[in-house]
Amino acid sequence: MSDATTLLVVKDLATTFQTPSGPLPAVGGVSFTLKENETLGIVGESGSGKTVLSRTIMGLQPRRNVEVTGSVLLNGFEVVGASEEAKRAIWGLEVAMVFQDPMTSLNPVMRIGKQIDEILRVRLKMDRHAAKARAIELLELVGIPSPAERYGVFPGELSGGMRQRVVIATALAGSPKLLMADEPTTGLDVTIQAQILNLLQSVKDQMSMSVVLVTHDLGVVATRTSRIIVMYAGRIVEMGTTRDVFARHRMPYTRALLEGSPKVSNPSHTRLLAIPGRPPNLLDLPQGCAFAPRCSFATDICRKERPELEPSFEDGHAFACWNPLPVSQGVPA
Amino acid sequence: MLIGIVFIISVGAFYLIHLLPGDPAAVILGTGDSPQNRARLFKELGLNKPILEQYFVWIKNVLHGNLGTSFISQTSVWSTIKSALPIDVEIIVLSQILAFAVAIPTAMVSARKPDGWLDRLLGATSFTLLSIPSFVVIVLLVLFIAIKLGVPHTGVSSYVSLGQDWVVNLESLALPSFTLALGSFVVYYRVLRSDLIATLQEEYITMARSKGISQRRIMWRHAFRPSSVALLGTAGVNIGGLLAGGFIVQYLLSIPGLGYTLIQSIGLSDYLVVQGIVLVVSVGVILINFAFDLIINIVDPRISRE
Amino acid sequence: MFWICVGWIALNIVGAIFANVLPLQNPLFQNYASVNAGPSLHHLFGTDDLGRDIFARVVYGSRVSIEVSLGAMLIGFGLGAPLGMLAAYRRGKFDSILTAVMYVFLAFPAIIATIAVLSFWTPRSLLKIIVVVGIASVPLVYRVIRSATMNFASRDFVIAAKVQGATDRRILIKELLPNIAPVGVSFLLIGIATVVTLEGALAFLGLSVNPPTPSWGNMINESLSILQINPWLAIFPSLAMCLFLLSLNFIGDRLRAHFEVSEAKL
Repeated sequence: MSDATTLLVVKDLATTFQTPSGPLPAVGGVSFTLKENETLGIVGESGSGKTVLSRTIMGLQPRRNVEVTGSVLLNGFEVVGASEEAKRAIWGLEVAMVFQDPMTSLNPVMRIGKQIDEILRVRLKMDRHAAKARAIELLELVGIPSPAERYGVFPGELSGGMRQRVVIATALAGSPKLLMADEPTTGLDVTIQAQILNLLQSVKDQMSMSVVLVTHDLGVVATRTSRIIVMYAGRIVEMGTTRDVFARHRMPYTRALLEGSPKVSNPSHTRLLAIPGRPPNLLDLPQGCAFAPRCSFATDICRKERPELEPSFEDGHAFACWNPLPVSQGVPA
Repeated sequence: MLIGIVFIISVGAFYLIHLLPGDPAAVILGTGDSPQNRARLFKELGLNKPILEQYFVWIKNVLHGNLGTSFISQTSVWSTIKSALPIDVEIIVLSQILAFAVAIPTAMVSARKPDGWLDRLLGATSFTLLSIPSFVVIVLLVLFIAIKLGVPHTGVSSYVSLGQDWVVNLESLALPSFTLALGSFVVYYRVLRSDLIATLQEEYITMARSKGISQRRIMWRHAFRPSSVALLGTAGVNIGGLLAGGFIVQYLLSIPGLGYTLIQSIGLSDYLVVQGIVLVVSVGVILINFAFDLIINIVDPRISRE
Repeated sequence: MFWICVGWIALNIVGAIFANVLPLQNPLFQNYASVNAGPSLHHLFGTDDLGRDIFARVVYGSRVSIEVSLGAMLIGFGLGAPLGMLAAYRRGKFDSILTAVMYVFLAFPAIIATIAVLSFWTPRSLLKIIVVVGIASVPLVYRVIRSATMNFASRDFVIAAKVQGATDRRILIKELLPNIAPVGVSFLLIGIATVVTLEGALAFLGLSVNPPTPSWGNMINESLSILQINPWLAIFPSLAMCLFLLSLNFIGDRLRAHFEVSEAKL
């Protein structure tokens, strides 16, 4: 793994929305790297900035009232500050996105085949027959039964799980090197969720892509990622290999997340520990650690000064906390 | 439903005469009142028979394509309508092509940057145009283009049929078509603009953007179709209104379409022609609305599924 | 801009009411010595083909537009609004039958019906025009008010009032009316603008008030035959009508924005 080439370098990336009530720092200075063929998990509660982060990495943030600073180097291409025209060259072919809600991310009045083969026809200049044949292949690849007939249906004629498969097929059409999957299973039934995640895993292996898997559910990333980033209030609070984050996490927020996510190994009726309090208002962030108001370990320094992300002794493991948990406190994955 | 409405309209058109004060026979005959005509009227409609029976006699004739024969011009009402209707259709088709050709691109320009200077300019323009009635537009156009500038074949009574000389025909219909196009443009622009702005916020537009396709393609292929439902509904109502209100532009220029014929017949008190035109136009309006409902179902498959 | 528009409408109304006490020339006085004269100090807007002062006629002409539109809206709202509110509040058979009847009337092209009735109902008078246009507007008012009332009829505050034993009349007037008023007022402005336009269209065909009474539409109609000689007779009443409509539309637009009434509801 360590000798694989680096695909993505994110450095000090910050995304600030200009809102009527003032600047809103949705992502507040994030740095990490991603290697080829690696799967990275980004975990956090809703509102932690993970969706904005995944869109900003692609350069897909809204076009107005947004300020992005820092650097995103995607396979040698600097995304931050690039024009829409320049970014179009990498969208679809270098990097593609699987959107969160398949009920809203497919065009309701466009046949699904047309949505899939659009990249093939427009970007790869394939002729109509070749594009159609390839789109049907992709439908088959994502596990849609009788793909040739489904080519001509509208999204409304498909179930949520089937629609998400179509969204994945669309993202795969341009054979991207990096696939951003933003909460790809949120709107789906639990049984379908596992199918979609397994599908993502298998297409990743077949097409040798890197994947960024964004989710609020640590259970989702446990077995499917090699590394994990935990986000809170727009910043990374802990990152490391999946094993380290699960077994040797140091940040109280990570533990709260872990305790909040259901595990198959738990006896049934185990009470889920929801994290007390609410995520902070990004328009009015506390002076110190953003998690301090909800943290049972918080001390005076936590409320006064924000902890920086500091490396732990393990390779690549880092956390931002003044009062880290002792290593032995970790819950084994 | 459709048949029910047509039925009720036929009742309305027939009994219109009985709602009015005075002798129905005198109203129907109008200025064509003569003993021969009176005898023929009683024979055709049986005015001395019960009123219900009169209606059935009349509707049976109508269903056989017989709207009666004018007591004034002594020509069949149906043939009068048949020769006038194509002119209305031509003016409406020309005006709609023009209105859509301008409204769609301008609405897209506006929706791309809402509240940008171009959007504000177009908004103010459309708002001003909204307040100018079409009869004022046609009067001013005739005044400045036909009279002051003296552009040939645009003035009063210069209508030439399509079969006679199609170039002159188009020239003679230019001002009325433009007038109707202007009114339609304003409505279409406003409806499409607001729907496009809403559509462009949708997640599937971001998804289309993430495919790396051009802004133009996103507008035309992804945003336009889901935004056009209200536009089509409005167009159906509007085109029906143009058919019913066609007299406005035809009257001034003496273009012998249905609207002009209607006004002429009203002036002559030619009741049967008025009744026939009311019936044909009403049914036409309903058919146009029905056709647009069908188109909407094709354009947006969500609607028929609901 | 909003207040300029309000001021302009107010000026028109004041002009219409006090036309006979204002220092205007007699709108019916024919002066054959100055026929089809252009604008001058003596005749601000010039004179028509019978030597009548166009400025005086435009001011007097606003009377017809204002009378017809207010009168017609009085009938339209007087019948349509209570029926619409009652239908939306009661629902049931009353609502379904009434709504079905109204939709049948809506399917009938109103302008054709208006023209047909007015052309055979002679002799014409201002009152007949008001009655015909007013009745034609009833289904439109009914539809708008009914759907606006429906939005509120099942809200909690109405149910709360019912539980407290308020009478239907009290609920309709005290609870529902204030809530649908913004929609009603917005539609009233659109209705007035539509009727002013319709009067113009009727006059254009010679179906409005009988000459020599001036109305904006009548003046435009009279100008048609002499467009070449005297364009002023067409331009000034057109301008008066357009500015009046523009002001109405602008006020309506601002009110809709203020009360958050969507254009699609009207």
